[in-house]
Amino acid sequence: MIKKQYFFILLAVLTLSITMALPPGNATAKDSLVLALRGEPADGFDPLMGWGRYGNPMFYSTLLKYDNDLNITNDLATGYTTSGDGLLWTVTIRTDARFSDGKPVRAEDVAFTFNKAKTSGGKVDLSLLKKAVVVSSDTIKFHFDKPDSTFIHKLITLGIVPEHLYNQGYGRHPVGSGPFKLTSWVEGEQMSVEPNPYYYGQASPFKKITFLYGNEDTMFAAAKAGQLDMVVVPAHLGRQKIKGMHVKAVVSVDNRGLMFPVVKDEGKKTATGAPIGNDVAADIAIRKAVNMAIDRNKFVDGVLYGFGRPAYFVCDGLAWDNPANRIKDGDPEGARKLLEAAGWTDSDGDGIREKNGLKAEFTIVYPADRSVRQGLALASADMLRDIGLNVNVIGKSWDEIKGLRHSNVIVYGWGSHNPIELYQLYHSKFSGQGSSNAGFYKNPAVDGYLDKAVSSPSFEKSVKWWKLSQWDGKTGAGPRGDAPWAWLVNLDHVYFVSDKLDIGKSRVEPHGHGWPITANITEWKWVD
Amino acid sequence: MKNFLKYLATKPLRLSIIVVLVAILSFILVSFSPLDPITAYLGYDRLQISQEQEQVIIERWGLDKSPPERFIAWTKNILQGDFGTSVIFNDPVTLVIGKRFAASFWLMFFAWTLSGILGFVLGAIAGTWRDSIADRIIRFYAYTLASTPTFWVAMILLVFFGVKLGWFPICCAGPLGVAPEQVSFADRLYHLALPVLTLSLVGTAQIILHTREKMIDFFQSNHAIYAMSCGEARFGTALFHGLRNILLPAITLQFASLGELFSGSVLAEMVFSYPGLGKATVDAGIRGDVPLLLGIVIFSTIFVVTGNLLADLIYRWVDPRIQIGEATG
Repeated sequence: MIKKQYFFILLAVLTLSITMALPPGNATAKDSLVLALRGEPADGFDPLMGWGRYGNPMFYSTLLKYDNDLNITNDLATGYTTSGDGLLWTVTIRTDARFSDGKPVRAEDVAFTFNKAKTSGGKVDLSLLKKAVVVSSDTIKFHFDKPDSTFIHKLITLGIVPEHLYNQGYGRHPVGSGPFKLTSWVEGEQMSVEPNPYYYGQASPFKKITFLYGNEDTMFAAAKAGQLDMVVVPAHLGRQKIKGMHVKAVVSVDNRGLMFPVVKDEGKKTATGAPIGNDVAADIAIRKAVNMAIDRNKFVDGVLYGFGRPAYFVCDGLAWDNPANRIKDGDPEGARKLLEAAGWTDSDGDGIREKNGLKAEFTIVYPADRSVRQGLALASADMLRDIGLNVNVIGKSWDEIKGLRHSNVIVYGWGSHNPIELYQLYHSKFSGQGSSNAGFYKNPAVDGYLDKAVSSPSFEKSVKWWKLSQWDGKTGAGPRGDAPWAWLVNLDHVYFVSDKLDIGKSRVEPHGHGWPITANITEWKWVD
Repeated sequence: MKNFLKYLATKPLRLSIIVVLVAILSFILVSFSPLDPITAYLGYDRLQISQEQEQVIIERWGLDKSPPERFIAWTKNILQGDFGTSVIFNDPVTLVIGKRFAASFWLMFFAWTLSGILGFVLGAIAGTWRDSIADRIIRFYAYTLASTPTFWVAMILLVFFGVKLGWFPICCAGPLGVAPEQVSFADRLYHLALPVLTLSLVGTAQIILHTREKMIDFFQSNHAIYAMSCGEARFGTALFHGLRNILLPAITLQFASLGELFSGSVLAEMVFSYPGLGKATVDAGIRGDVPLLLGIVIFSTIFVVTGNLLADLIYRWVDPRIQIGEATG
């Protein structure tokens, strides 16, 4: 009898604790959001270490910013000018902005942010900036030894930190002048923010937004249980249904493509012993035939479940993209003719072409843990077999790929809002330096255009040169020119969004699935 | 008693030797790792970063120095109590470990206690009534769970209790959007339930099978046969004579499993987004965060060795015949 009593007491205690712990019923006016969009910065919300490079620095304002159409507009700045030689940028700032601790944002804070970021050793590369100098309470001058037109992207992405609070450990207690301030952060689990009362811009209608940082499958389960207002999912889950939510696919330049080694194998090796060159891929006819034969739309349907668009270059649709890159693809007949004309013929009747005794075969290597890249590699191999190219496909770890990337075709993925990417991918000075120009691509005309682009006195003036580097009517790094890459697809980033959450117009997103969608978060509203 | 004191005095010395050896070995292993921490750190930012900037990062992390130089510098700092700064978290290593272990501790504590007690009881029952229905069910359960990966059990529990029935929270150590300081005790327990259940379910398997085996051995021993021939029932024999015989091996096993508990919690924490040490360990490993990895290795070594020390002390208490220190003295 006594035992039974104990049992009931225990049961009562358990029930009580569970009911107490259950979340309270939803209040009528929804003024909080729970989102699972990844993007937790392990090293903290410190702009100087690189926080905010993608999408939205959240707690910070930047000097300039993108609007929803990726036009550059003012944020903290009221205007900027560049000197004719590009060695001096002058930025004027608004004087009414305040950090979330109530202190004003001064020109000194701006200069401090840039000078400190230069030496911090994070993911902000300001190596070309000589120094930032305050000239008056609202004017800052940025001095350079060499012009750098891509500096504008630092003005867009680098959040301004308060000099009086910045120290070691600041990333865990961020204070900025952006639309939100941090209220709590449980690392690896969740972060909560509330509006910054001092923010000068459009205020969010939400009193509290919570970001969850859990495992992908778990977050999807949470969305299915009705606990989230928004969740980011891999494309293959985009065909699922979640009650009360709809799928939102956001266009991106998050691309995947095949990188070709463009030099012949002359037995050379890199300093780390990786072999250089591939005799088959070094033939421009092969690379052009690949670009021509593959059917990019089929990749989008078959590998990406429809969540994507064809890719013809690394920056499809951005301001510096050259429309001439849109070649006609899915054309095996044209590719066959091209190969025949270049001397690649199937003389022994085994279905594989050869030229001077060299078989038309190469290996596509993909990182073994990436299913989309695997799908693309296998589908490419199938399509290329059809035009008489024998393509092997293997999956390797990233570390193994380091030894293979200069002599094999690799499935890479890039895509950024910063055109410096073109410079790193196609300039011969980065040949064989890491994964930048791993294929040893070299074209003096392209090098010249890229140099001119980077050293233009302003971003606007650089756009022309970036475009010319891709195709100038005779040559270029695009598929119409030397075709050192066969870009395949741009992924769409897939989200499930509550039917009642209006997230406005989403921007074309860079590589990085999840967080970038928050770029316009102050415009989000709840529609009952 | 004198011997016992001597034992207590020499134990820290041995512990420190183990820690030093483990530290040296892990440092050597880590320096042979093909992982390039810079590549891991930069990821797809690779193309935004110039060689000059890469050099700045290398210098910040001290990677421009040779491994022996780094090891000496690291050891010097450790001796002054400075475990260095975690590369990926950009926070002092001791702080990172402290913060995460606080979360993991209760998870591991509850799971360990629960699986120990449950496993021992079930194992004893199965061993006492060998080949009975109860034994078969318990054995079936133990074999199944012993061969089931932890993350899978976690996922099943999550889908069933979290999503289908909605009884338990799906993730995290506290309710969504509530600052950790404001989470109530009941809430903490509530959020611990599924991870603890996962770890306990998987953890019981081993202890069940071992305890069962020991109980069967006991029933074949002379004193068990003697007790039963005196008219003691099977249950009584097990309760009054068997338990004390099988308790010591069970304690040994349970304390020895502290290491496994660490790895089990890694998986459970990943599934339930429980912000514990497990997740930090995985990050440190795959992203080449040497200071943090070494910090965790040293910490877990101390944790496991302390566990074994506790087991030794508990032996003495459970079985006063055991004189710790006699054998070594």
